[in-house]
Amino acid sequence: MSTTTTTLAIPGQLLGSTSKYQPGPGTHIHESNLYASLLGSVRIVHPAAAPTTKPTGPVKRLTKLSALTNQSSSSSSSLKKQSSSPDQLPTISVTVSAEDNHHNKKREILPEVGNVVLCKVIRITPRQAVVSILVCGDTVLEAEWQGLIRVQDVRATEKDRVKVYESFRPGDVVRAEVISLGDQANYYLATSKNELGVILATSEAGNTMHPISWKEYRDPVTGLTELRKVAKPY
Amino acid sequence: MTDRRRINGPAGTTIPPIFEDTSNKEDANSVKGRTRAPDAVRKMFLRTGVTPTASGSAYLEYESSAKSGVSGIKLSCTVHGPRSLPRSSPFSPHIVLSTHVKYAPFATKQRRGYLRDPSERDLGTHLETALRGAIIADRWPKSGVDIIISVIEGDQDRASSGPQSDETWDMMNVLSGCITVASAALADAGIDCVDTVAGGVAALVQGPSEDTPPSVVVDPIPSEHERILGACCIAYLPTRDEVTNLWFKGDLPASEMDLYTKLVENGILASASASKVLVDCLKDALA
Amino acid sequence: MASQIHVNLSPAELAYLHASLSLTPPIRPDGRSPDQYRPLSAETGILPGTNGSARICFADGTEAIVGVKAEVEKTGRRWDDDTIFLEGGGDDEEGGDKEKGSTQQGGNKEWVELTVEIPGQRDDDSATVFLAQMLSEALLADGGFVERLKINRGWHWKLYLDILLISPPLSYPLPLLSLTTHLALLSTRLPRLKSEGDEDPFFDDDWAAAPYLYPRDKKARPPVTLLVMAVGNNIIFDPAKEELAVADVVLAVSVADVADRKGKGVEDEDMDVDGRKLKLLSIRTVDPPSRLTPPGVPNASNTAYGHASAGATQQKMPEARAVESEAVEGVWKAPRGGAKLAVMGALVQKVLQKGGVADEVLDALEAVDLS
Repeated sequence: MSTTTTTLAIPGQLLGSTSKYQPGPGTHIHESNLYASLLGSVRIVHPAAAPTTKPTGPVKRLTKLSALTNQSSSSSSSLKKQSSSPDQLPTISVTVSAEDNHHNKKREILPEVGNVVLCKVIRITPRQAVVSILVCGDTVLEAEWQGLIRVQDVRATEKDRVKVYESFRPGDVVRAEVISLGDQANYYLATSKNELGVILATSEAGNTMHPISWKEYRDPVTGLTELRKVAKPY
Repeated sequence: MTDRRRINGPAGTTIPPIFEDTSNKEDANSVKGRTRAPDAVRKMFLRTGVTPTASGSAYLEYESSAKSGVSGIKLSCTVHGPRSLPRSSPFSPHIVLSTHVKYAPFATKQRRGYLRDPSERDLGTHLETALRGAIIADRWPKSGVDIIISVIEGDQDRASSGPQSDETWDMMNVLSGCITVASAALADAGIDCVDTVAGGVAALVQGPSEDTPPSVVVDPIPSEHERILGACCIAYLPTRDEVTNLWFKGDLPASEMDLYTKLVENGILASASASKVLVDCLKDALA
Repeated sequence: MASQIHVNLSPAELAYLHASLSLTPPIRPDGRSPDQYRPLSAETGILPGTNGSARICFADGTEAIVGVKAEVEKTGRRWDDDTIFLEGGGDDEEGGDKEKGSTQQGGNKEWVELTVEIPGQRDDDSATVFLAQMLSEALLADGGFVERLKINRGWHWKLYLDILLISPPLSYPLPLLSLTTHLALLSTRLPRLKSEGDEDPFFDDDWAAAPYLYPRDKKARPPVTLLVMAVGNNIIFDPAKEELAVADVVLAVSVADVADRKGKGVEDEDMDVDGRKLKLLSIRTVDPPSRLTPPGVPNASNTAYGHASAGATQQKMPEARAVESEAVEGVWKAPRGGAKLAVMGALVQKVLQKGGVADEVLDALEAVDLS
């Protein structure tokens, strides 16, 4: 990854024209120029070196109607993308990294739509599981954010047969994806992918269990199994 | 029904003691007036990261006046957040900014209570207006940030028994400091801002004698001038060349628009000076 | 704060509104011209128990009443007075020292207490406090006002201004409250003083003989605060709630008539008999609610219009916030940053110019029949 740390930036500092760079985190556009919006070091990532992201797991099947419209237009837009420059431009970003910051403080980040988060189940109802988000991406969150896994977002198939108490129990640690900023209090999360679901569960006897199938955990001491929406181990 | 267990103070209000200033009488002329040039601001000291438990913090101090008995400004700002909003508040696609400006009880000549009085709330609203233009609010949906400023020492002439109207001009000085210090603390907290907003004050002052025409000075200390006819406090974004908050107060005839323009221009000049300190401070914090 | 007044407008509506208000001449949603005020009905002297009162009802249904009450209060001795007494040894020594500052001969700003009550808001809410401070700031900036409250050396009038918005705050209530306060103060009368000198005050019972606080024959008038906003290059007066939602900058400008008395530090010019001379008392920036409006999504990045799902790119950068994009024509984006100095200057200039809106408003208020 060819990242070049060039300079330090303070908010409002001119970084360059939008024709030369793509805006990354910590920057903003004003009158077709890019300016820093954070205090930190400037990083420029060249697209050739940027890690190619491939979708992990099966892509959610689209319903027919939207698939049709999406295909026709997305093929054209992806073609456009190939030819047009924006994606080829290096991305410029300003980051506050721990080593820059002399008092070694982590910058607060927010869960974002599409992020994979780790959370702990607080309580369950027949309609939803209320969780508290602990980790977003690789960052442990400072503030407490509450999330909600609704029954229809637990898994991708046979949604109508999902029962929340057969998927989560209070105290479980769950890997989930943020699907919406949700309402005033909760982020909406989903575990409808193979690698999402419960990653750490405790049995009724209080022992840490290990997964044995896509929907079961077993207590190694008592030998009893319990139902969960199990995350596929990496 | 009187409380007999304690020794109570007098029932009515009392007057803070005023001591006769002997130095004032001897060399009244040497330190009475303004010693700085009309376009020079006081020296200031700014540092970020003073409160380790807060997400961001800053401390600002103005040089005290050459005149004895006049204290400078000392401000401490902490930024908490971004953090989740309380459950009762409605959904917000933006960061919810809340600003609190509080004078310490001992910050001014007359003691301040612990509850915020209207002038402190007013300062908070001014500060909010100034900062709201600077932060990029849509980067932080559903979250809130608290900006808390404690005025440890507010610009006041403790020695003089001067008229109370000085207080309003002091408020402008404090507000300009609040804007600068909050801007530094926001940058320290890592909250996206379009620019480093800085505050500055300019005033129209009466000359030494009644006959001289009024002149415009930056960063006024009320006790250094005979009379302040009007003042404005400006929050300025230096790289964008924009003003996020303008607060003018005074008594200016409409025919003298040039005077008003000059006042605002000088306010921007003062803000630009404060901004230089701010930028240097932030660069120091990075290095 | 103005930003607390909730506007339920979609990004598309905001973009449309902004576009129509930026045209030359601007097209306002209610068809007014840029410097036209909303029609209003006003009456004064509606509350018999007060020294002065007024009620104004705007055409959009917002209504405010203001009652002014005055009480006689003993003037507390200030520090200066005290020291004078100690040194001079008696009340007879006036003059000399008294010329030091203007406030000494004049009044104290604590003699005026102004409260604003807005339904549905706490009275210590900062928005309400801001309104009250703005209105009292304008009132007190005119130093002659508190001077008039002085009865003699030992006594003064304490004036209570209670401003009540009796309808829900449909739009930012500042212009309404300011105009109502103006009228209430104009109609305020204080009982005629019968006693003389520094003796305890004694007043005339005859209400008909009570003089006005703002004497009719003189030109002195209470200040008015005007709300002005700018969208693009247009300056719009008395904006409605919807218009505020797309404002670039909002200013509250307080102006008053120059009184007969000669202001200090102002070159004395001959008053023209017909035209009034305005003076600028205060300017405050009001936080425009437009900064808190939801942004629109341009078609280019809308998944419903064939843009590839943003999920993949955001996984790459967990810190990436809402993707920055350049302004697209017709897509609403909440304004960032402040206003150019030239725009602010133009706003103030427009208020103060001769025959401008401030003039018009003051003329209209003068025409209100005072009972």
